[in-house]
Amino acid sequence: MNRRVVITGAAAITPIGRTEDRIMDNLLGGVSGVRPIRSDDLLARQVHCGVFGTVDEEIEYDFPRRNRKTMGPVSFYACQVATEALAQSGLTEDVLTSGRVGVAYGSTHGSPTVQRDLYLILGREGGLRRIGATDYLKSMVHTTAVNITRLFGITGRVISSGTACTTSAQAIGFGYEAIRFGRQEAMVCGGADEYDTTTVAVFDSLLACSTRWNDRPESTPRPFDVQRDGLVVGEGASALVLEELEHARRRGAQILAEVIGFGCSNNGGDMILPNAAGVRRTLLMGIEDARLSPDDVDLVSAHATATPMGDVVEARAIADVYGGSTPVLALKGYMGHTMGACGGIETVLLLHMMKRGVVTRSLNLDEVDPRCAMVNHVTQVAEMDLRVVSVQNFAFGGVNTCLMYRRFD
Amino acid sequence: MSRQTIHELLLDVFKTRFEIDNPGLDENLRETYDFDSIDAIELLSELETFLGRELTQDEKKQAMDIRTLRDIEEYVLRMQQT
Repeated sequence: MNRRVVITGAAAITPIGRTEDRIMDNLLGGVSGVRPIRSDDLLARQVHCGVFGTVDEEIEYDFPRRNRKTMGPVSFYACQVATEALAQSGLTEDVLTSGRVGVAYGSTHGSPTVQRDLYLILGREGGLRRIGATDYLKSMVHTTAVNITRLFGITGRVISSGTACTTSAQAIGFGYEAIRFGRQEAMVCGGADEYDTTTVAVFDSLLACSTRWNDRPESTPRPFDVQRDGLVVGEGASALVLEELEHARRRGAQILAEVIGFGCSNNGGDMILPNAAGVRRTLLMGIEDARLSPDDVDLVSAHATATPMGDVVEARAIADVYGGSTPVLALKGYMGHTMGACGGIETVLLLHMMKRGVVTRSLNLDEVDPRCAMVNHVTQVAEMDLRVVSVQNFAFGGVNTCLMYRRFD
Repeated sequence: MSRQTIHELLLDVFKTRFEIDNPGLDENLRETYDFDSIDAIELLSELETFLGRELTQDEKKQAMDIRTLRDIEEYVLRMQQT
């Protein structure tokens, strides 16, 4: 069985907005969502990085108490984008509760805000007694996925990837495969991560964070730029409704794009250092899975976190696979690295650009690092006929993903 | 605490903690208000505050059969005496 899979709903919460119009205005206007880090009583003053990709608009949630009580901040994000994407898809309650629809959704580590509170509680006298009945449900690694299933009564399979920066890319890929190979008719896929300074501390301690632009947050991160000095942690969420093509056609659903390939692999070695061979192999897997050649791809969305070595290795791998002419776009300059949410958010942004036939530029790429100059960076906003696009992401632990999408004409 | 005091305290907890306004004394809390086992665990920690002492595991397990506000009042009265 090898069925075609299409996207019938898409939504995102990002540091540069939620609606298509606002996101596109900010992308085309070169507006960054990176802000000074908020003060807190734990780590904000200790970390060297002073910036964060921040969602600063108020979101009005409309979830009943029975659902809210098991949601940490990350699940509020996840359930909101799932609600919006499902509304766009038009899938009805009888389908969602039929067992033929599942959820593939994750986050980097559940809800760190709730986990932080738990650690503080456990350090106190009588700490065990103070743990709330819902604290685990709010903070467990699959909290986003099962809060979505509960909100909509979804009874199909649950896949909750928790592979840091490839979390949502894997969720989309595994959801795609669940439909493609006939196990489900539709899947709600994506990832979310909430505002949290412990994540900053993790990367800060590994010397991977940007620290030289604290007084100019909008100027960092700087993917592929000669002055880049590391990543910027961000927050956000995205959800895609994937659906089997004929299922979508029969009910007259609006089709946003087709998922045509997924490559996924592990470097099988170092947990942190980027690996050109692993990246290259994964990009080729994605292209082969889509039954295309590299020349068929109109735009590559790079992972490009703006670490000094990661960007060089990625640029080399892209050049090895695509040569030097395929346009390469780095979106993290606008939002920072939204961690487990990034592959899904980058997909939603590409869907908007694909629909409008326009590509934004890689923000903060003022002077291309000569070591990254072997590919065709998008440095100016340009009209572009986007038929096939690729989204690539990589994570600690040596996990690599490559998602392939085609415009649905 | 008198039954009336317990009643008032419980109404306040139900309103502020569980967003349940003035439940009837004999209404089935699960069926009427989605008050589930997670809520019951949360309620027990509130009852410990009323009682000024920790409940034992056995005492907590006795609360798992509670279905109505009247059941809760009687449970608190019983726990007061032990």
